[in-house]
Amino acid sequence: MVVKQETKSMTGNDAVSYAALFAKPDVIAAYPITPQTTIVENLSRFVDEGKLDAEFIIVESEHSALAACMGAAWSGVRTFTATSSQGLLYMAENVFWTGYGRLPIIMPVVNRCLAPGWNIWPDFQDSMAFRDAGWIQMYTKNNQEVFDTTLQAFKITESKDIALPSMPCLDGFVISHTTGQVDLPDPEDAFEFVGPYDDPVIELDVENPWAYGSMTGPDQYSKHRRDLMVAMERAKKKIVDVHKEFEERFGRSYGNGLVEPYGDDEADLTLVTLGTIGDEAHEAIDRLKAEGHNVNALRVRTFRPFPVEDIVEFAKKNHKLVVIDRAASFGHDGPLRIEVEAVLKRHNVDTSVSGKIMGLGGEDVPYSAIIDLVKKELKE
Amino acid sequence: MPVTQKDLMIKPKDALLKGHFACAGCGSALAFRHAIGSVADKAVLVVPASCASVYQGSGKGVAFNVPTINTAFAASDAVASGISRALKKKGKDDLKVIVWGGDGSAADIGIATEIGACDRQENILHVMYSNNVYGNTGGQRSGDTMIGARTATTPKGNTTPRKMVPFIMMANNARYVATASAAFLEDFVEKFQKALSFEGFKFIQIDISCPPNWRAESAHSIKISRLGVQTGIWPLFEWDRETNTAILSRPGKKYGDKANRKPISDWTSLQGRFRGITDEELIALEKDTERQWNFLRKFM
Repeated sequence: MVVKQETKSMTGNDAVSYAALFAKPDVIAAYPITPQTTIVENLSRFVDEGKLDAEFIIVESEHSALAACMGAAWSGVRTFTATSSQGLLYMAENVFWTGYGRLPIIMPVVNRCLAPGWNIWPDFQDSMAFRDAGWIQMYTKNNQEVFDTTLQAFKITESKDIALPSMPCLDGFVISHTTGQVDLPDPEDAFEFVGPYDDPVIELDVENPWAYGSMTGPDQYSKHRRDLMVAMERAKKKIVDVHKEFEERFGRSYGNGLVEPYGDDEADLTLVTLGTIGDEAHEAIDRLKAEGHNVNALRVRTFRPFPVEDIVEFAKKNHKLVVIDRAASFGHDGPLRIEVEAVLKRHNVDTSVSGKIMGLGGEDVPYSAIIDLVKKELKE
Repeated sequence: MPVTQKDLMIKPKDALLKGHFACAGCGSALAFRHAIGSVADKAVLVVPASCASVYQGSGKGVAFNVPTINTAFAASDAVASGISRALKKKGKDDLKVIVWGGDGSAADIGIATEIGACDRQENILHVMYSNNVYGNTGGQRSGDTMIGARTATTPKGNTTPRKMVPFIMMANNARYVATASAAFLEDFVEKFQKALSFEGFKFIQIDISCPPNWRAESAHSIKISRLGVQTGIWPLFEWDRETNTAILSRPGKKYGDKANRKPISDWTSLQGRFRGITDEELIALEKDTERQWNFLRKFM
């Protein structure tokens, strides 16, 4: 049965903050960076007002924000931080340390482009740089999904059979600072969904001391990395299961949790997207269909682990995929397009793939631009 | 409570088991054994990239008999902050969170992290064991390298004075700051335990010999450390925030007076890293030593 929820209007960053508040992290460490800042401002207010019983560590850098969360995670408590852009880059070695160390940390990334020049608007260049860091990455389309995804992330990440950190991603400003509708459950219902973190993935123990991260020879090291690959594979099912459980309790879903299709199963052209462009694509498709065009869309919600099977299955039924990327792998192409093409090739799917890199540095991607792209691609 | 030689022999637990990878004559491993051993049932260790990340041993044969977290070079004090806060949240704040790392992390790459933890008054103790060089990577100059030392990156001799990390920590309002020497372990363990009795950020820099990088005889390890104190190169003191007063420690007290010191060349001559040191460099080293003493005297 779906629980009672109250419709509120709030920014995407507020939605993240409420999800964190309801999950009751024990340790939060944070450093300000636009456009993430209001998340940690909210959380520090919750702590100061006594709404959240957490240790709040006001660190001197992002490198230390994640390091402090790592220390807390090793101590067996629920931890949370959030960052953006240059901040994410500054914590780089710890991002990998966390992923490869299988530490259950939740860190929303409010996507913002990278300098130079100084620009605070969104693209996915920041989080895309960490797709190989061993984190679960989920890209969201609106404020509601940000709330839902952050809550789900705790449950996925803290499962003992998964033990992978999570990076819910939200477009800077477009989501983070734009007020939208969010159906908010009671804190108790939200917490009951996440559950207490009382069976930690890892926990320091003076009675039974162990050393973590000591020198490791190639045999053991490569075993650890292979374990991580297998855990990522397991995470796909976990994401689907948690997403389903969430749907049963709160009545909302995003495809199967890995990908979200929109429109008919089969079409002449399929838009493949990430993040808010996926939401904008819905409008474009509605309008194109009204004009008589046969188009649909597939929004990749979970980018890591990459939903290979779902993409292959969808592509098989369709004829032409047009991938919109909001990041570039310089010297090659958009990262989403590269991966989609590789997956189809490997699975012998001959659906054609093309794509366009749009929206870099906050360049607006309105439905009209998407319609233009589709019309151009339909002619080719 | 003064720590005696007899106390050093009685340990609640052996913190450093057989099979560690420390070099012969390593002053850091020796200091580790006695200090960590004195609180082993309560210690949680955080080790940045350093010799300690190597000499703890590898894989399943780790010789540190206390919970040990290895961190990135600049991350240790922030990781320790997170541990300390998590333990507080869990009501386990009787445990002692100790960062054990070298001068590379404490004086150079990790100093911002360290000052951050100090500024926040995190309840941790940072022990910086200093061999004044990046030992693990083969002996390159660090911020704590003294004038005249020949290192892998200063083959003709280092020209800049050492970065005095204890003074930096004093200026940043640490709860307790002390220096120690591997030649005077009773003094070190006493300061170590005293530091742990305080709430807040504590810092101890212990001078340890590094026979391979100092190109010295392993058998001279303790002798060189002792001469470091006797020549005045390494002042032994402790400073308490409450009194803002530096007190010279018993084993090094008389070397506050220049007249009681042995010539610095007694100390340099036992170390290959000072082979070829010129008279000018020796004078500069002496001057820099005096600079440190003069700084310290302002707090006495």
